[in-house]
Amino acid sequence: MVDNAVGKRLLSLLCIFGGVALVVAALILDVSRSNAPYRGAFLVIGIVGILVGLFIFPTLKYHRALMNFVFLFPLLFAFLVTVIIPLILGIRYSFTNWDGIRFTKEVGLENYTKMFQQPSFIWSILLTFLFVVVNMIMVNLVAFLLALLCTSKLKGLGFFRASYFLPNLIGGIVLGYIWQFIFANVVTNITTALFDNRYSMLSETGTAFIAIIVVYIWQYAGYIMLIYITGLNTVPGEILEASSIDGANPMQTLFQIKIPMIAPTITICTFLTLTSAFKQFDVNLALTNGTGSVADFMGSYLTNGTEMLALNIYNTAVIKDNYALGEAKAVLFFIILACVSILQVYISNKKEVEL
Amino acid sequence: MKKRILALMMAGVMVLGLTACGGAATGTADSGAAADSGAAADSGAAADSGAAADSGAADSGSSGGAVRLLNGKPEIDNQLQDLAKKYKEETGKDVSVETIGGDTSAGDELKKMYQADNMPDIFVIEANQADTWDGMLADLSGEAWTNDTDYELVHDTMGTIGFPYTVEATALAYNADVLEKAGVDPASLTSPSAWKTAVETLDSKKADLGLTAVFGWCAEPANLGWSSGTHVFGQYLDAGLKLDDKTYIDLLNDGGKIDEGRMKKFAEFIGMMNQYSDPELLVDGTYDNQVKGFAEGKYAFVTQGNWINGTVTSNENYSGFKMGFAPYGFDDGFDTIIAGPPSYWTVYSNGKVDDAKAFLQWVSEDSAQNILVNDAGLISPFSDCTYAAADPFYDSIKSYMDAGKTSGWHTMLKKDGLQNVTCQVFADYAQGKMDADGFVSTMAQVCSSYYAE
Amino acid sequence: MGKKEKTSSVVWRFVIATIIAIYVLFPFYLVVINSCKTTNDITANPIGLNGVSFTQLISNLVDVINNTHFLFWDAFASSLIITVLSLVFLAVFGGMAGWVICRNNKKKWAMVIYFTFIASMIIPFQVVMLPLIATFRDVGKFIGISMLQSVPGIVFAYCGFGGAMTVFILTGFIKGIPYDLEEAASIDGCSPEQIYFKIIFPLLKPVITTVTILNGMWIWNDYLLPSMMLGQNGRVKTLPVAVQAFVGSYVKEWNMILAAALLAIVPMIIIFLIAQKQIMNGMIEGAVKG
Repeated sequence: MVDNAVGKRLLSLLCIFGGVALVVAALILDVSRSNAPYRGAFLVIGIVGILVGLFIFPTLKYHRALMNFVFLFPLLFAFLVTVIIPLILGIRYSFTNWDGIRFTKEVGLENYTKMFQQPSFIWSILLTFLFVVVNMIMVNLVAFLLALLCTSKLKGLGFFRASYFLPNLIGGIVLGYIWQFIFANVVTNITTALFDNRYSMLSETGTAFIAIIVVYIWQYAGYIMLIYITGLNTVPGEILEASSIDGANPMQTLFQIKIPMIAPTITICTFLTLTSAFKQFDVNLALTNGTGSVADFMGSYLTNGTEMLALNIYNTAVIKDNYALGEAKAVLFFIILACVSILQVYISNKKEVEL
Repeated sequence: MKKRILALMMAGVMVLGLTACGGAATGTADSGAAADSGAAADSGAAADSGAAADSGAADSGSSGGAVRLLNGKPEIDNQLQDLAKKYKEETGKDVSVETIGGDTSAGDELKKMYQADNMPDIFVIEANQADTWDGMLADLSGEAWTNDTDYELVHDTMGTIGFPYTVEATALAYNADVLEKAGVDPASLTSPSAWKTAVETLDSKKADLGLTAVFGWCAEPANLGWSSGTHVFGQYLDAGLKLDDKTYIDLLNDGGKIDEGRMKKFAEFIGMMNQYSDPELLVDGTYDNQVKGFAEGKYAFVTQGNWINGTVTSNENYSGFKMGFAPYGFDDGFDTIIAGPPSYWTVYSNGKVDDAKAFLQWVSEDSAQNILVNDAGLISPFSDCTYAAADPFYDSIKSYMDAGKTSGWHTMLKKDGLQNVTCQVFADYAQGKMDADGFVSTMAQVCSSYYAE
Repeated sequence: MGKKEKTSSVVWRFVIATIIAIYVLFPFYLVVINSCKTTNDITANPIGLNGVSFTQLISNLVDVINNTHFLFWDAFASSLIITVLSLVFLAVFGGMAGWVICRNNKKKWAMVIYFTFIASMIIPFQVVMLPLIATFRDVGKFIGISMLQSVPGIVFAYCGFGGAMTVFILTGFIKGIPYDLEEAASIDGCSPEQIYFKIIFPLLKPVITTVTILNGMWIWNDYLLPSMMLGQNGRVKTLPVAVQAFVGSYVKEWNMILAAALLAIVPMIIIFLIAQKQIMNGMIEGAVKG
């Protein structure tokens, strides 16, 4: 037992010191601008060594604390490097003339005032809000109706449920191209017959916007439906039975019992559609890439008729090479989403109290 | 629920805290970053990217010491692969060819590759992108091939940076057989009135000639913006001008100004193209359908350049008709086509410069020119090239070149990305949302606001 | 009378459900049949079955797979490796972190970490993506391992971005595991790590399934992060990026594009058919808890 402990301690110390030595060596290599390709390996092995050493270090007093550290470290470290540090840097960069690689001066709020002077950006914001509102209503309505259908007596229920959900499995990019094909080759046949319009819906700003909404509902309604089904299934059978004995017709049951009882589910779904519609990017990119013209908006001609906020940010920064401005827009996007989330908590909290 | 609120409050505090003490908090992170990027910028990136190139090579294993060439023309991808094989055969050295193109701009991808320290040794740029890479491109002056061409790209500070790998021409490509049958002489199409009569004649004989429409012109913006926004727009900038006349590109680059009189005439010409174009193609067609229609004899004219030759001649319904170029005669006496290298190969100064130079020299020589001219259908920019181009457009282009009736590719010098907004104006015009005057005023507004951004 | 009405309404419902199902599944049908045609047959009639042949499907698939812009097998392998590695790391490290947070829920530091994780869930990717690239470039240069256009880099990023949601769902579950269990083991002389690996981790199976499904669907289909970090001409491409690069090249031949789309969605659909219930339940749980 004692030998074992001593051995363990030795091993652990070996790991720790070896690890530290490797890390230090790697850092020295770095600072001295050496290009030894193994410096990265040194660093990683060193850190792993330290962690393993700490993990097997035989101490009773600090063991728990050590364990906590070792257990938390990997995820927390990744989280800090990929989310927190870029967030801090990003907010900071939005006040500078950052070009994606470095910045040379502080510009204060210039980026923020500049973006509101761009009619194209204002258009993107308004369009996004419109998209969000329309989608929130449409997706929830469609999903709720589908859920009612799928909780009623129906043959092949499992099949229908699964097929309505199926579109949700496919990534936005692939899905966007599939629908681009449908709009270009199939829908044109229909529009030619109905409206004598042989142009693809995607070639006109207004219809292209409708097209994006159609695709979005197609993709998302099945998922929201699943949540509504779960909600509807929690409505106790006895209550429904009692209401039908009392002679309530299906409509009354729906509006006076089912809907009030699944109010929390409605809140969840509303905000789920809200945030995901805000973040819509892939379908927008693959379907129209933001093209479409607006003849006159705030006195200027726009060429980004279907470009929503997320895509606008991407295009500003990556395509037009204006990183600082793009970052400022992204910060605004963040603030909008944060407000939405606060609203969500506020509303669902209030509802909870009422119930 | 309480927790959620707490979480949100945390979020709020976090954001406030971050913005408030952003300066302090970023101090450390910044200095790290600054030290690094400083090293990259000041001490001439060589050390850093050298390491990255090494580790990159280690990653990809087998492609060890290959010179990497980034090509921007997907239509010659296969031939460049053959070129690399031939080079390996003759010299034993490896070249690996990567291709980006079409909707994806090679320029945008190159920026990402630069950030990831994954730069190719040779890559394609358009003339207006040279400044983006200021200080990072190798000076090629003194290479033997520079004596055999007039088309190399010279930059103010970096010297000779661009290797011309091809000469391309664009104007209105025509189907010579159709024009002959209709009795239209392409050489006469140098004024709006001549064009008007010719187009009306062709239109009236559409059925006999087997034409769907006179023009195969496509103004679809999302995928073909490069065609309308860069190439067709380029005719406004250069049509009818001498090779080195930069009047209108200079005007444009001076804050996005346009010459309204010239633009009006251009607009009227485009209006005629809209009117006599295939409606199936005009608004939402694709490049493939456009070229296919031309190859199958459905259109008398198509708004592309000689790069379509391979696609046309390999079409199974191609009847073997002759082709050539007619000028965009939107004003009297406009008798030039645009010709020259639309893009160049440049050498990354932190890459394998010597190997890259050796490869480029080899490309300018006989066995490589054989592949590029005869297989890829390119027109050689080198005067010592012995191969008559296999390009069916070659005779027509040669006649313009010999007569000194070529204009420059100055459209490549406009502000990067301008085509993404101008192409939308072409699309709206094609859909009939505006008339010629509307086209002019919208174009003026779009250009000036794009330059102001 | 009453009974008759009921059966008729059941029939009606079935008809409506079928019509909707046809609408929802129609795009899939189009993808499948048009991948079996030549371009000319597609332009002639995109909806009908004329020109559908198995040999054409094979030839389209072979063309797509061999296309130098697409490199299907490379992209598929990269997607698979990246997804699997990220999922494993997220499950293992997420469980460890979640457990530590849960068992220290009286301590301030644990709560700070926990709420930072939760609060970070509202951060949109757009706000971090630009500095992320810069950070990764600098980190990569510093440690000499390229973090951009490399598998380790993107797996690391997915661990960071998936961390918050994973920890959140796992903590919710671990809270429900009775503490007595651990105390008993502790009295028996088990060290904390033994308790975790021998007792807690096995109990996490159902919730790890949920987390894995949620993260898996997201990572497999994600486009923006890989397109920023890997690029379309990087050393590594995931399937969505490869599809985009393929469609973006001049070759706008719909039979090829749809064949590529087919290749991209088939793996997902196979997995869905196998684990339908788990996937649907996992998605519901993720939504309700998130």
